[in-house]
Amino acid sequence: MQKLKNFIHNLFIPHEENNFRAKSLHTDFLTIYLAIAFLMTIIFKQGNLYNVLGFATDISVEKLYQLTNEQRQKNNLSSLSLNSNLSLAAQKKAENMFQNNYWSHYGDGKTPWDFILDAGYKYEYAGENLAKNFLFNNGVVDAWMNSTTHRDNLLKREYTEVGYAIVNGVLNGEQTTLVVQMFGTPLSGSFSPPPIQAKEPILPEAKPIVENKPQQILAQKTFQPKINFLNFSFNLNVVFMTFLLLALILDFYFASKFNIIRTGGKNTAHFLFIIFVLVGLFMSTIGAII
Amino acid sequence: MTKTFSFYLKKEFKNHLFDYLLLITAGVFFLILLNIFRGQRVSEFIVLISFAFFYIIWGVYHHIMNKTLHLKTVVEYILIAFIIIFLLKIIVLP
Repeated sequence: MQKLKNFIHNLFIPHEENNFRAKSLHTDFLTIYLAIAFLMTIIFKQGNLYNVLGFATDISVEKLYQLTNEQRQKNNLSSLSLNSNLSLAAQKKAENMFQNNYWSHYGDGKTPWDFILDAGYKYEYAGENLAKNFLFNNGVVDAWMNSTTHRDNLLKREYTEVGYAIVNGVLNGEQTTLVVQMFGTPLSGSFSPPPIQAKEPILPEAKPIVENKPQQILAQKTFQPKINFLNFSFNLNVVFMTFLLLALILDFYFASKFNIIRTGGKNTAHFLFIIFVLVGLFMSTIGAII
Repeated sequence: MTKTFSFYLKKEFKNHLFDYLLLITAGVFFLILLNIFRGQRVSEFIVLISFAFFYIIWGVYHHIMNKTLHLKTVVEYILIAFIIIFLLKIIVLP
């Protein structure tokens, strides 16, 4: 126990034994961190965890489906079943958005209902949620749940089926991961009334983004993560940066308290640099929904 | 009286006000540029690299001004800058 205490003391508190600088901030330790970070980058690349455009997203149909049903169960609603026709409609919608460069429920003269009907799904009720540029499944579903219109869609009692598409491509010059969620309730009964008799589908209210740029498709690919590496890596990075920030804070505090004068970088500058980068990282992971 | 972390922090900022204002201004520009180039992974990466290099140059400048420049100090700034670059590269950058 005493050994562990001494080890932690040596790691974070500047004193005589660690040359008046927290051991975790020594150059040799920093070199080890760099080696680990470099190794992680290589493993990530070798593992082919990015797709052709270099995206790193951890969004999967299975997880989105699971999270959606969890939200419905929390609200005492029946679970949705996954429908391949709705998934096909979602896939076609996402592809159409990339081909025609728009970020909207309506584009290229087509409505979401056209995609649903074209996929061979005759609906009584139907709905669509869209999301882009999220890193994680939770972020997508949380964003939908925090928006009244999307939440209403997700928790609509009448829906019985759902379909998803997760497609990467370039939209409006921006590398984008699109998530399309299509809800539906199939027409019941033996008769098949024409689609015009179907009830008005539900869409979240949103202002469509007007796109005037020419079509610009570099690549499209449905992304299926092999392992939950990104989530692991993200958490590891957060833990690592927290460790580094903690070491900087403690070292700075005790060095200031004991009036220690030593050779080395400014902890406050390191601290500011890491904070700015963390805010930047957070900004990069914020997605959008309509 | 026990002095708090914020007391020492304020003292440090007060003693080198111009230097820290310079770093904070660069940080704000970094965030603005990231926002402008959002989704353009290569541009985002260039912005990050530029900020990291500015940070290293800032470190050298700061220690020259305070007559505390040492090779070990420069290496420390370089190591921290590159650790952060590699960590970010794994998550969002190309």
